[in-house]
Amino acid sequence: MIREIIKNMFSRKQVIPFPEGFAVTAEQAAKIVDLQKKVATIFGRSLRIRQVDAGSCNACEWECTALTNPIYDIQRFGIDFVASPRHADVLLVSGPVARQMAPALRKTWIAMPEPKLVVACGDCAADGGIYQGSYAVTNGAGNVIPVDCYIPGCPPTPTAIILGLSRLLDEYTR
Amino acid sequence: MDLLQKKTVATWVYLNERYHEVAWHDFHEVCVFLTMRQHAILRVLFACDERERDGAFRIYAVFSVPGRDLFTVIVLPLRGGETSFPSITRSIPAAHWYEREIEDLFGLSPQGHPDGRRLVVHDAFPAGSHPLRKDWKISEDDLRTWTEGAVQKVPYDFMKVEGEGIVEIPVGPVHAGIIEPGHFRFSAIGETIFFLEPRLFFTHKGTEKQFETLGFVKGVKLAERVSGTSSFSHSTAYCMAVERMAGVAVSERASAVRTLTLELERLYNHIGDIGNMCAGTGLAVGYAKGAVIKERLMQLNERLTDSRYLRGLNAVGGVTRDLWTQADDILRTIDWATKEYKALMQLLLGCISHIERLQNTGILSREIASKLGVTGVAARASGVNDDIRKAHPHVLYDTLIFESHTSEKGDVMARMMVRGEEAECSISIINALLEKRYDGELTLPLPAVAPYASALGYTETPRGSVFYWVMADKEGKPLRVKLRSPSYCNWPAVPFAVHGNIVPDFPLCNKSFNLSYSGTDM
Repeated sequence: MIREIIKNMFSRKQVIPFPEGFAVTAEQAAKIVDLQKKVATIFGRSLRIRQVDAGSCNACEWECTALTNPIYDIQRFGIDFVASPRHADVLLVSGPVARQMAPALRKTWIAMPEPKLVVACGDCAADGGIYQGSYAVTNGAGNVIPVDCYIPGCPPTPTAIILGLSRLLDEYTR
Repeated sequence: MDLLQKKTVATWVYLNERYHEVAWHDFHEVCVFLTMRQHAILRVLFACDERERDGAFRIYAVFSVPGRDLFTVIVLPLRGGETSFPSITRSIPAAHWYEREIEDLFGLSPQGHPDGRRLVVHDAFPAGSHPLRKDWKISEDDLRTWTEGAVQKVPYDFMKVEGEGIVEIPVGPVHAGIIEPGHFRFSAIGETIFFLEPRLFFTHKGTEKQFETLGFVKGVKLAERVSGTSSFSHSTAYCMAVERMAGVAVSERASAVRTLTLELERLYNHIGDIGNMCAGTGLAVGYAKGAVIKERLMQLNERLTDSRYLRGLNAVGGVTRDLWTQADDILRTIDWATKEYKALMQLLLGCISHIERLQNTGILSREIASKLGVTGVAARASGVNDDIRKAHPHVLYDTLIFESHTSEKGDVMARMMVRGEEAECSISIINALLEKRYDGELTLPLPAVAPYASALGYTETPRGSVFYWVMADKEGKPLRVKLRSPSYCNWPAVPFAVHGNIVPDFPLCNKSFNLSYSGTDM
């Protein structure tokens, strides 16, 4: 037992970067590894995301939840979803921003500490998507709060969301 | 001659829908007769602005009597500027949200409704906004001044519980987890929930009006985006409504693809939900195992339809592709999922700490479930045997042999077990379907639609029954698309289920119902 503890103290656990089921091309894999490095250097190995549903159909939320399942396991890149905007570096907005959710979204954004980044996740959050022009939506997150990065897709797959975050950090470091 | 026939002014039949037009003062009596004497279930209650046709608003109340594949639709025309209709809520509690919704969206007031507050529209819209009236228009400037608070808001009073030791806990609309927005107000005594009042409709997106602008064919895309994890069932119900209205009978092959995909959707949802309930009790290993099976099933969805949520497969008139070419892939994945799912259930049922949290938690009594018109897993777990697949067979459900599963207890455990049994049932339906071959055209063209034609479309989503009712205008474009998602019926039951439970058990109860906010809020 003592030998085990000592061994664990010195040996680093083997990480399988892309397990079976997490299908990525070589190019995408390189981007994700790069994202991991950036999270490590810029954010001290911890990039925290606050997710706000501003009227999405719930598909984007399930894709964010899927990111935390054992296959994608986004936590191993140092990225995690948090409960409070006060703990967050990134605000991930989904949905066309329903008028009745706009004040809540704005308040969440105000509650975040600086520097704050905003990602609009999904086609709805970009320009309202299929809901564009409806009386009850504001046609995208960009009309309510400043958006730094858009992730297209309806809904974007978990891989697309990770790649979107990598693009966000590219923009941020530039 | 029964009361219904005596009071009917005019009647007409379309497929399995029988419409009865009644007079204003008879509406209440007829509805009560149907529910009390014939034990009919109120499926959906809605209004339609038909003033361009004959100057009348119409109220439609759709009932179905158990054991008969027939929808009885009570029609109440409001002619000559009449803007009120008799409320049936005091006798049929299932109608209470529908009536408030009609008041908000059409400005028709239910006479005698016990709750006069707004439901669908909140403070983002000025008082007197009735978006589904054909002549309603609002400018950006109006909305901006209203949003900026220059105008007085419409008050919304939460119900107040007073007494010694009562603590009020407001939660939301933005929640701690990755979930949809809604406001909950708990009145708790210590840890015990005494009263819960949810305020939803934060994600109201004007979906029904959007259907009118998109047209019937493009509407499929919108129907797929009403509720994310029920994309395919919603689009099936929508397509079915439009096809029935236009008189298109889809081929057996297209019906088979739809049946198969409905069951694939049910399977990934039920297994995912069982896993998710573990998150409510803090059983990380169960949650992780459930998430992996769900993920693999969603990857199968992606291989089949290029969408993890089975989008883009349905089209008005049929389906866009045949899934039988990938039958091997489906069978292989389903076999793997069955094995993993059985291991998961064995693990969960053997875990005392998990099971103890589920048993006797969040009990929904049969009486309340049937009075509120609860549907789907929540209803069946409380002993209300209502399954649209059995009650109103559609697609290929009349050719398949399957059971509808019920439980009497009505607690979280019962809801988990009903889900488990239904998941196994879905697996056997999928296997039975793939053994056969089906013929016919994949997609049939949509003929010109007759003026003011209308029809119902329905199916059983993983959460319960979904209904669409569509009506064309004189040019064959959508005049009205009414959608009723299962969560709309089930939300009012949640406060009854959590009464007397402790606040930390609320997420567990909520997950056991697994309701969609987006589908409810429309």
